[in-house]
Amino acid sequence: MTRAFLGALGVALAALALYPFFGTGYGVRATLQIFMWIALAGSWNLISGLTGYVSFGHVAFFGAGAYAGAILVAKVGWSWPAASLVGGVAACVLALVIGYPCLRLKGPYFAIAMLGLNEVLRALVSYFEGLTGGGSGLSLPTLDATIPIYYVMGVLAAAVTLLTYLIITSRFGLRLMTIREDEVAAEALGIDTARHKLYAFLLSAAGPGIAGALTARDQGYIEPISVFPLAMTITMIVMVLFGGKGTVWGPVLGAVVLFVSQEFVWARFPYLHQLLFGAIIVAVVLLMPRGVLGILQMKYRLPRTI
Amino acid sequence: MNVVITPVMIGQVIISGILVGTLYSMVALGLALIFGVMRVINVAHGPLLMLGAYATYFLYSAFGLNPYLTVPITMLLLFVVGVVLQRTLVFRVVGAPELASLLLTFGISIALVNLAQLAFTSDLRAVEYLTGSYIVGPFAFSKSRLIAFVFAAAVSGLAFLFLQRTKLGKAIRATSQSREVAMVCGIDVDRIHLFTFGLATALAAAGGALIAVIVAIQPEMGGVWTFKSFLVIVLGGAGNYPGALLGGMLLGLVEQLASLFLTTQLSEVVAYLLLVLVLLVRPTGLFGGRQT
Repeated sequence: MTRAFLGALGVALAALALYPFFGTGYGVRATLQIFMWIALAGSWNLISGLTGYVSFGHVAFFGAGAYAGAILVAKVGWSWPAASLVGGVAACVLALVIGYPCLRLKGPYFAIAMLGLNEVLRALVSYFEGLTGGGSGLSLPTLDATIPIYYVMGVLAAAVTLLTYLIITSRFGLRLMTIREDEVAAEALGIDTARHKLYAFLLSAAGPGIAGALTARDQGYIEPISVFPLAMTITMIVMVLFGGKGTVWGPVLGAVVLFVSQEFVWARFPYLHQLLFGAIIVAVVLLMPRGVLGILQMKYRLPRTI
Repeated sequence: MNVVITPVMIGQVIISGILVGTLYSMVALGLALIFGVMRVINVAHGPLLMLGAYATYFLYSAFGLNPYLTVPITMLLLFVVGVVLQRTLVFRVVGAPELASLLLTFGISIALVNLAQLAFTSDLRAVEYLTGSYIVGPFAFSKSRLIAFVFAAAVSGLAFLFLQRTKLGKAIRATSQSREVAMVCGIDVDRIHLFTFGLATALAAAGGALIAVIVAIQPEMGGVWTFKSFLVIVLGGAGNYPGALLGGMLLGLVEQLASLFLTTQLSEVVAYLLLVLVLLVRPTGLFGGRQT
């Protein structure tokens, strides 16, 4: 079983690595998008799937990374790989500043505080026009780097998934899941819950920050509405819920299935797209709160570390 | 930016703050009711307010009704919409973890916005009924805002009296204090949930109706109101209804005061910083409330 799985995984990774040599431009771009969604959904899963703290504004880290990376490229003239790393660092710094006070909030209050963070960042980047271009957006110098970005984003998606696996199979992950199940009990067991939540939050911010900077470089133009949309947070949450939260492969499965079906819907029903997205959210929440892998785990006694 | 701030400006800001704050209070009272009674964070509150605004717009433009006369009709219409939503979808996430209710109401919210875009297009529409201001001494009162204030104060007052004095109101408060004990006392909790969601939606709709006379409306107008209502109930303390009324006033005043020194975009940032600060110092809200 394990050997077959690892073999299939190796084949899939090799195929993805070779894909830009024979794929169409659209195919490469769509796969790049899937990589981005795997990285985003996997990162959200790290904080919310494992500790149960619902980050309802996780796209804030994506946007912060996008602006940090774009400003370094456009105004300072950095190369994009270095700027992307700084995008990740910027998101982590933001997570530290906001996580330190806000992770002490319980349940719905944390969700509201994170939702607010996103709105506020959007207002802030619109205000500081000199640096960010304000509402009219920020253009990056033209550069066709789709294929290198494809590889970097692919590595990022793989890294987030590997990190999730390492965390879930570690004592650190067990402590995070203890916090999710019962925070008071976790504290009684001697777990420094504040510190553990903050570490998980920092780890979950880095991926979106890097992905944001990469996306900014790839698209060549960003504006406040395009990098801080609430819908993006919701999309990553629904991807994780669909696949199964708190699992290693759930976010990957959710990102692939939902992205592919979204492309399919986009192409056919441009006017009803939002309505259908709303219906998908409602259906996932009501019909399969545990997600595909959660259901499979229950039915077939699959390992916890799937 | 070096502006001299005169006492008249401060007076004007306090007046504007109270006028807009009352509107915040009324809308947020709806959100506070839903959260208090059902522990559901209703992200669709703003979009429901948007539907109320459109109801008033069409009653005004198609039937020529006085927009202020449409307020009760709009409230009744949206009361029904609220009851239907609760009966079909929202009741399924009562008592579920907050993620389920957040996502479900977000799904409803984008579906409503999309439906409104399809039905009404994204054009800005305005109820041009009352324009201009009353001038009293050095102060100016925008006519539509002043009347909105009167209506909002009256509606919130009535809602509050209803909660305090009537049997149904007491049953609602009892359910929000403890669902189980309310059940033991013979209260039909599911019916209370239905009524609460309807009432809360009607309060949002009243806000929408009054806003439609003040500013132009469009399908995406609701998001800001969801966010502001969140701010208000956190400031006031969740599950604390008088607190929600005071929180609305406070938010109105803070926003207007901030707009004296900063641009309007940044007044939202100030309101958020206030929220984080309040959550840190008093996680149960300024006026007390319950921990979840």
